[in-house]
Amino acid sequence: VSSRIGVDIGGTFTDLVYFDDETGEVVVGKVPTTPASPEQGCIAAVREVVPDEVLRRSAYFLHGTTVGLNALLERRGALVGLLCTEGFRDVLEIGKGSRDMYNLFWKPPAPLVSRDLRLPVRQRTTFDGEVVSPLRESDVLAALETFRAAGVDSIAVVFLHAYANPSHELQAEQILRAAGFTGAISLSHRVSGEYRDFERASTTTIDAFVRTRLSGYIDHIEQSLKGDGFDGTCLMTRSGSGSMTFAEAQERPFETIMSGPVAGAEGAAELARRFGLGHLITADVGGTSFDTCLIIDGRPQLLHQGTVAGLPVQTSWVDVRSIGAGGGSIARVDKGGLLTVGPQSAGADPGPACYGRGGTLATVTDAAFHLGMLGDGLLASGLRLDATAASAALAPLARELGYTVDEAAKGVITIVGSNMAGAIRELTIEQGIDPREFRLLAFGGAGPLMGTELARELGLREIIVPPHAGNFSAWGLLGADLLRSRARTRVMTLDARALDEINRIVAELLSVLYEDGFEATADTDRCEIALDMRFDGQEHSLTIAPDHDRGRVSSTPAELTEKFREAYRRSFGLTLHDKVQVVSVRAARRRALPRRSERLSLATHGTVGEVSAYSFALRERCRFETLYRGDLRAGERRRGPVIVYEPTATTYVDVDFSYGVDANGCLILRREEH
Amino acid sequence: MDMATAQDFVYRPHDRKSDRGRSRDADPVTTQVVRHSLGSAANQMKRVLVRTAYSPIIYEAQDFAVAVYDRQARMLAQAPTLPAFMGTMNFCVEAAIAGIGGEEKLEPGDAILYNMPYGTGSHAQDCAVVMPVFMPDGELVGYTANKAHWLDVGAKNSYCTDTTDVFQEGVVFPGVKLYRRGELVEDIMAIVVANSRMPRPVRGDLLAQVASCRIGADEFVRVVERFGSQTFWDCVERMYEHGEAVVRAFIEQLPDGRYEAQGHLDNDGLSENPITFDLAVEVSGSTLRVDFSRVPDAQRGPLNCPLPSTVSCCRIALAMFAGNSEAPNEGHFRPIEIVTRPGSMFHPVSPQPCYMYGWPLMSAFEAIFEALSRALPGRVPSGSAGDICGVQYWGHDDLRDEFFYGGCSLPVGQGASVGGDGATLFVSPLAQSKTPSAELMETKWPIVRFERWEYVTDSGGPGKQRGGLGWDIHWRFMKPVEIVSIVERTKVPSWGQAGGLSGLSNRFVLSYPDGRDVEIRKVTGLPVPAGSVVRIRCGGGGGYGPPTERDVAAVRRDLQLGLVSDTEARRHYPQAFS
Repeated sequence: VSSRIGVDIGGTFTDLVYFDDETGEVVVGKVPTTPASPEQGCIAAVREVVPDEVLRRSAYFLHGTTVGLNALLERRGALVGLLCTEGFRDVLEIGKGSRDMYNLFWKPPAPLVSRDLRLPVRQRTTFDGEVVSPLRESDVLAALETFRAAGVDSIAVVFLHAYANPSHELQAEQILRAAGFTGAISLSHRVSGEYRDFERASTTTIDAFVRTRLSGYIDHIEQSLKGDGFDGTCLMTRSGSGSMTFAEAQERPFETIMSGPVAGAEGAAELARRFGLGHLITADVGGTSFDTCLIIDGRPQLLHQGTVAGLPVQTSWVDVRSIGAGGGSIARVDKGGLLTVGPQSAGADPGPACYGRGGTLATVTDAAFHLGMLGDGLLASGLRLDATAASAALAPLARELGYTVDEAAKGVITIVGSNMAGAIRELTIEQGIDPREFRLLAFGGAGPLMGTELARELGLREIIVPPHAGNFSAWGLLGADLLRSRARTRVMTLDARALDEINRIVAELLSVLYEDGFEATADTDRCEIALDMRFDGQEHSLTIAPDHDRGRVSSTPAELTEKFREAYRRSFGLTLHDKVQVVSVRAARRRALPRRSERLSLATHGTVGEVSAYSFALRERCRFETLYRGDLRAGERRRGPVIVYEPTATTYVDVDFSYGVDANGCLILRREEH
Repeated sequence: MDMATAQDFVYRPHDRKSDRGRSRDADPVTTQVVRHSLGSAANQMKRVLVRTAYSPIIYEAQDFAVAVYDRQARMLAQAPTLPAFMGTMNFCVEAAIAGIGGEEKLEPGDAILYNMPYGTGSHAQDCAVVMPVFMPDGELVGYTANKAHWLDVGAKNSYCTDTTDVFQEGVVFPGVKLYRRGELVEDIMAIVVANSRMPRPVRGDLLAQVASCRIGADEFVRVVERFGSQTFWDCVERMYEHGEAVVRAFIEQLPDGRYEAQGHLDNDGLSENPITFDLAVEVSGSTLRVDFSRVPDAQRGPLNCPLPSTVSCCRIALAMFAGNSEAPNEGHFRPIEIVTRPGSMFHPVSPQPCYMYGWPLMSAFEAIFEALSRALPGRVPSGSAGDICGVQYWGHDDLRDEFFYGGCSLPVGQGASVGGDGATLFVSPLAQSKTPSAELMETKWPIVRFERWEYVTDSGGPGKQRGGLGWDIHWRFMKPVEIVSIVERTKVPSWGQAGGLSGLSNRFVLSYPDGRDVEIRKVTGLPVPAGSVVRIRCGGGGGYGPPTERDVAAVRRDLQLGLVSDTEARRHYPQAFS
């Protein structure tokens, strides 16, 4: 009953992983993404890789998709009409007014709803929920006429302070329905219980914009799977970690928008919990980007407001920092004579020069291959990298810098590594965390290539290259807990009365969270509470988890205050003695999927080779052994240098590291003192 | 071509060299890595300040700057913050060190508080914290510094538009140790707190500034240790040379010559007489000189811009064009010279008032762009409405039993460019500011209720490309308050170019509950009864190119969206009606 299938649709490839509980086997597959119709690509991948009987006995289908995100990026979604408080028609377009200071021509992205479809309704509620002007039904009906004439598919309703009192938004919905509107309606207070009208309006219009597209997509997948004999539960990854049912994803499509890098973070968290790996820093290096996040106490870190395609989204999301640094990142010499790498990428087409598909610009992959870090350059796909093309692409850089080609290639790797290390340093140090207390989990096609360089740069001692390193994000889908969460803004000074109010709000939020048709079972079902807190008068808050007993906060105000001050001290190096405020209350319900016990098997090769590769520790080329991961025996440790091949990734182990596979199948690299 | 005369002052970046590093020994790869590491230290300083600050003017308006300096007060790195502050920080560092008696008086763990307007370039409210950075072996390697706007530092009002000397503008800290060897000097903090109408947020903001400097200093030390001292300093010299080369390469593309433009202000805060000033940008080879020598004498009211901000204005304007889209360092500033006249409105001397230094600065920014547009036709956007339309209010919060101070700065219509219509954004010198949301402000200051937040039809300057729209923001006071208004550029609207026209100018009308409407520009401490409504019109940006060449479909779209009225469209865009 724990068999399951995971499909993660990326920009270039669709990754598939399934776990069969009869054999304990994990099988991975990779097929090209079909951007025009990713749902068909998804189903095709399942049909190609998953045997019928495994599909029939699987209990879960877990899915990560960028369909919502792509609809947003490409601006292909519903025609949305917006009902807003009279006088506030242009909040969505005026936004924050901030700009890129080094680009005089910078403009914000156009709003999702154009001005002629943002229509005013007379009504007003105050910040504490008092209605000071009733909703005028005639305004809603007049707006509906305009929407109908324009062919609006989907209506977003965003009234000021609806989080404090949703009655007008609910009335508007009733009026629209009573008048016969059958399209989708997104009410801002359902999307987000938090204040800030521009951000909530942006999130609500995103919800309305992607709803139809995502709904049809989900229906297609569910129907096709059912037709093929699948009889389990379909789940989709959430931006805020974990997964949700397809039904909820249709209800709350905006919660999928930032889920792209979530599967990798979930996988890292599961690995940390399962094998007791402690705190981790992830280094996920793909073709165009480097994604990093922190796994602390077995969970990824969450933030509660983000930006997607230039639009703010008021939703929880895993704090994954992304920079434009990957295998395809292009190196060049700038006007002042310094070497820069990225953020432009050669992408999949033409790709790095050494792919031999017509690329001529030097990329990170070209530099790595030239330096011997990829061994003999035979990829799992059968593609053999072209050494001549790599050095030809690097030669102009070398000339401009007055370097040898080796030196130029080394420079490219050093700079891209330093950019990645910089992203990790900012992520850790800004939270008062010393990265040296963490281990690095390196995955994605090029993560294991950069591991030793990053560890040296950051002073980390140990690198873990997980099983299925190149498909690790898809593997991460398999362990995603079912998670639902809600939040509500209620600004108040933290005292005993506030605690009662917190408990009242938590009870309300939980009652929504438990209305999902799932039986609450004690062993797998947990609720989580968090409070956004700040010193009275500050704006930015820290999220603190109080102790609680099944949804009733058991910490006292004094204990909570102390907990907040301690977190503040850790983050900012000092603390204050001002009064503490609660800003928002967050509640979540988490249900773990059944445990699975996996057996890992990698093909053995028995062949050992040799290559001349550059050692960053020795600062010169030396002989590196090359071998296959499947040939490594658990428990044995040896000294580098070595290059370890596996089907979808290559691990580069510099001379100052030892390596070996542990009992769990993780490849562990350890920095050795000289 | 050199028009500077005997009484003029020419500011050139100092060429104090360090004997620590030699650029020829630095390799371009490590230099790039060092540069990123220093940038990352500055970004961390910014995050800490934003996240621990008390006042929205810091965390929303981003009215602050953070930077890292070497021992010669040359700028190593700076995070993107308030552009207007960004080029002033070396003055703060140098003046703060001088204030405590020189470098030899510094000890590890010190933090210096400094806010002399002629040294910070700002008003007394903008307080700098400067922290020396020592290596574990005791070597002084440089400084971390920030400057942030405090809500109140004891001027005649919390914000002033009518001061006549600097002593009415707030308490001055001429470079004093707020921390000595890591210990807070309680006496100094007591003076800060005792002189503010809003002691709690001011204390919180000051401690946030110290926390920010400290995290930057720790990171600075780690960076030097990571690369080793010699390599680090070699790379620093190379990094400055790189920045200089990037900017010089840009200036060399400009045709040599003198490009003039005029700046405008409504009045000096005391009278209603408009102010105009002439400035010129002179290009000669790879050097750019901005000439402020012909501006009027210092104004009687506080619309004078101290030298550091005059210099900053030029540095940042050029960095926006020439900086390779990257954060500047000392090297980027080397090719720029500024000519001023001491005692003039762009180089006031004590005790000339300078509380509103930011307005001449914004106006000079617009004028520098206009001058550059003559050197670079088609590569400079037209003018913006040129202001932040600030109306602020204060009073007593009965609930918390303390003084409150509310308000926000606002984006305005920006100029169109050859490539497209203008947007509605903050003016360039305040690029990173953010408008707080109505919901947030109503929660924070329950005495205000917003009534309008919408574009103004016909406010964008007509053109082939239309200027960015202006907008109306209206709010009602539910309780009596006092207000300060600084709504500038109500008399001279945005400039258009190549046949494009001006947008509507800014305007503030106060509607009293008895039905009177009063237009206000600058006022300080005006009592306003409950029920009054503030009606601000943020102006529109200038157009680009003749309106008659505007694409017919774009005109129709503007009509459909209500951005242009039928009457005005027929007047400016007849091509859409034939």
